[in-house]
Amino acid sequence: MMPRKLTPLQALVMGLALIVVLFPVFWIVMTAIKPPTDWNASPAIWVPSKPTLINFQTLFNPDAIREYGVGGVSQAATDSVIGSLLASVSATAISVVIGLFSAIGISRYGNGGKSTPLVILSGRMFPPAAIAVPFVIMFSTIGLIDSYPGLIAIYAAVTLPFSTWMLKSFVEDLPREIEEAAMIDGRSRMMAHLTVTIPLIKGGLFATTMFVFILNWSEFMFALVLSYSNVSTIPVQLAKYVTATAGTLYGVQAALAVLAMVPLVIVGYRIQSHLARGMTFGAIKQ
Amino acid sequence: MTTPKLELVSLCKEYDGGDVVAVDGIDLTVAPGETIALLGPSGCGKSTTLNMIVGLEDPSSGDIRIDGQSVVGVPAGRRNVGLVFQDYAVFTSMTVRGNLAFGLEVRKTPRAAIDRAVAEVAELLGMSDRLDARARDLGGSELQRVAIGRTLVTRPSILLLDEPLSNLETAARLAMRQELRRLQHEIGLTIIYVTHDQVEALSLADRIAVMHAGRILQAERTQVICEQPGHVLVAGFLGSPPMNLVRGSLRGTGHGEAEGGGGMCFRAPGFVLPMPETAGQGLPEGTYTLGIRAETLRLTRVGDAGVTGRVALVEPRGADSVLSVVVGSEVLKVVTPATEAPCEGQEVGLCVPAEALCLFDGDTNRRTAFCPRERA
Repeated sequence: MMPRKLTPLQALVMGLALIVVLFPVFWIVMTAIKPPTDWNASPAIWVPSKPTLINFQTLFNPDAIREYGVGGVSQAATDSVIGSLLASVSATAISVVIGLFSAIGISRYGNGGKSTPLVILSGRMFPPAAIAVPFVIMFSTIGLIDSYPGLIAIYAAVTLPFSTWMLKSFVEDLPREIEEAAMIDGRSRMMAHLTVTIPLIKGGLFATTMFVFILNWSEFMFALVLSYSNVSTIPVQLAKYVTATAGTLYGVQAALAVLAMVPLVIVGYRIQSHLARGMTFGAIKQ
Repeated sequence: MTTPKLELVSLCKEYDGGDVVAVDGIDLTVAPGETIALLGPSGCGKSTTLNMIVGLEDPSSGDIRIDGQSVVGVPAGRRNVGLVFQDYAVFTSMTVRGNLAFGLEVRKTPRAAIDRAVAEVAELLGMSDRLDARARDLGGSELQRVAIGRTLVTRPSILLLDEPLSNLETAARLAMRQELRRLQHEIGLTIIYVTHDQVEALSLADRIAVMHAGRILQAERTQVICEQPGHVLVAGFLGSPPMNLVRGSLRGTGHGEAEGGGGMCFRAPGFVLPMPETAGQGLPEGTYTLGIRAETLRLTRVGDAGVTGRVALVEPRGADSVLSVVVGSEVLKVVTPATEAPCEGQEVGLCVPAEALCLFDGDTNRRTAFCPRERA
């Protein structure tokens, strides 16, 4: 599509919208490179005169920030970065694999009847907080609380509706005859799906994987209520940068937020055209 | 007698526990090397029949025999039947070569043999210079050729074509039709061709099986089925325009004002047609449907004909025109040379040649023994 020239009014509205969307990003990046003295300065310092990487150093070496007279950071963020990676990558893989086969089963063979897709979706109809408490009780009973297997299981379960519905829409876009042609050529049903269906929806598969990864990566609630000491993720770690002596460590929080944002920005940029499909559970055609 | 290539025996396909009957007891025998067209409107069960022959669907009852052996329950890949889909079903993620080689690779054919077979088929279809093109970059007729080539390369014993030309533009369709005709002659395959386009069926098939509501109404040689349709629905489906069908009654002349003839007269509201001398003899009086081919009706002056009507519509088709002539409560289609077409609203006489008539039983809708052409 040719880029359209904007009218002055459209440009104004777009400009305002961009400011609203991008200002927090700008502010967090700036805060991440501000020394502790500038975090809460009044009037606000927009762009630090002496940018520093001390906040980033503090993430992995809690004592680094003592040179500014700020203490009380007890825990490095290393565990939470590793924890986030472990939980998000594993849960995304499980969710997408199960979602892929569910999507093929539902859209090609009508498995589970007409109500199954909606039943799968019903998991998203409750606010996460409503199901968090039952999960805590359940996981305590079966010993999965404060463990990565527990967190991965719940992440995979919570994102399964997204992966199923997104992939279902990609599979449905593909003519069934393609698979039938492969079967006539001698492939089994399973091999026809593995060698024909999956390669043809790999764009959609990638987009779904990235979308689900974003959801898992930024999840806060379940990680907070299901973790104590063994398990930590970046969003939970972000909430821990509050000290008795210096209050909230905005710069360190911002530094961790910037680190957490980088993969999302890269991934989001790559799948921007598919994001709407995920947001609408696949209702939007490409 | 040689074993038929394909036999369908009382073939049925039901869905939803018998609530929907897609194919309702089909019997069909196809000889080796024969091309047969399954012709019928959408939803008549043509594609379901193909799917059962190729093995994508199992019949609810009945048998499918290839070379005398039942193939019911044999997986699609082991029947050696090729199917070319309406939407081509070309693997767009692969090159033309990848598509053509796919079936042989699945069968674990040695690489050298695959290359040879792919080259042969590409040559046959005129695609040799496009082998390395991505399938997604191909146009409609090229995709169609890849779809056919991918099937031919596995040397199927029966080739099934499911409306293969319906997605092509007119020029490409004509070219592809000639291409298929040529392939038919060169390879001598047994071909079953599903279409709702009778021109395609007439130009490609040796025999046509007209389907309606899951049944085969008539399976006959192309020439015969056009001239002697066996069922009212066949008569009403074939031809452009299709045969005129008038429902009425056949009575002896004692009942009416018919002049001369063999003593029988066909009557419909506002429509009286004396039967030719030999016609109607031996048929009981009763309700019938009279079939008259539009091409055989001749325009005459009003006073000279037994049937008169008013021209309601003139549809020019180039060399000829199709007239809609209102006779009583019936509308008869008449094909006339464009130069002789009357104006709309004009009164015309219609001369109905005896050899143009067919009579169908009013109850069964089957053609009666009467048909002057049969004797001709």
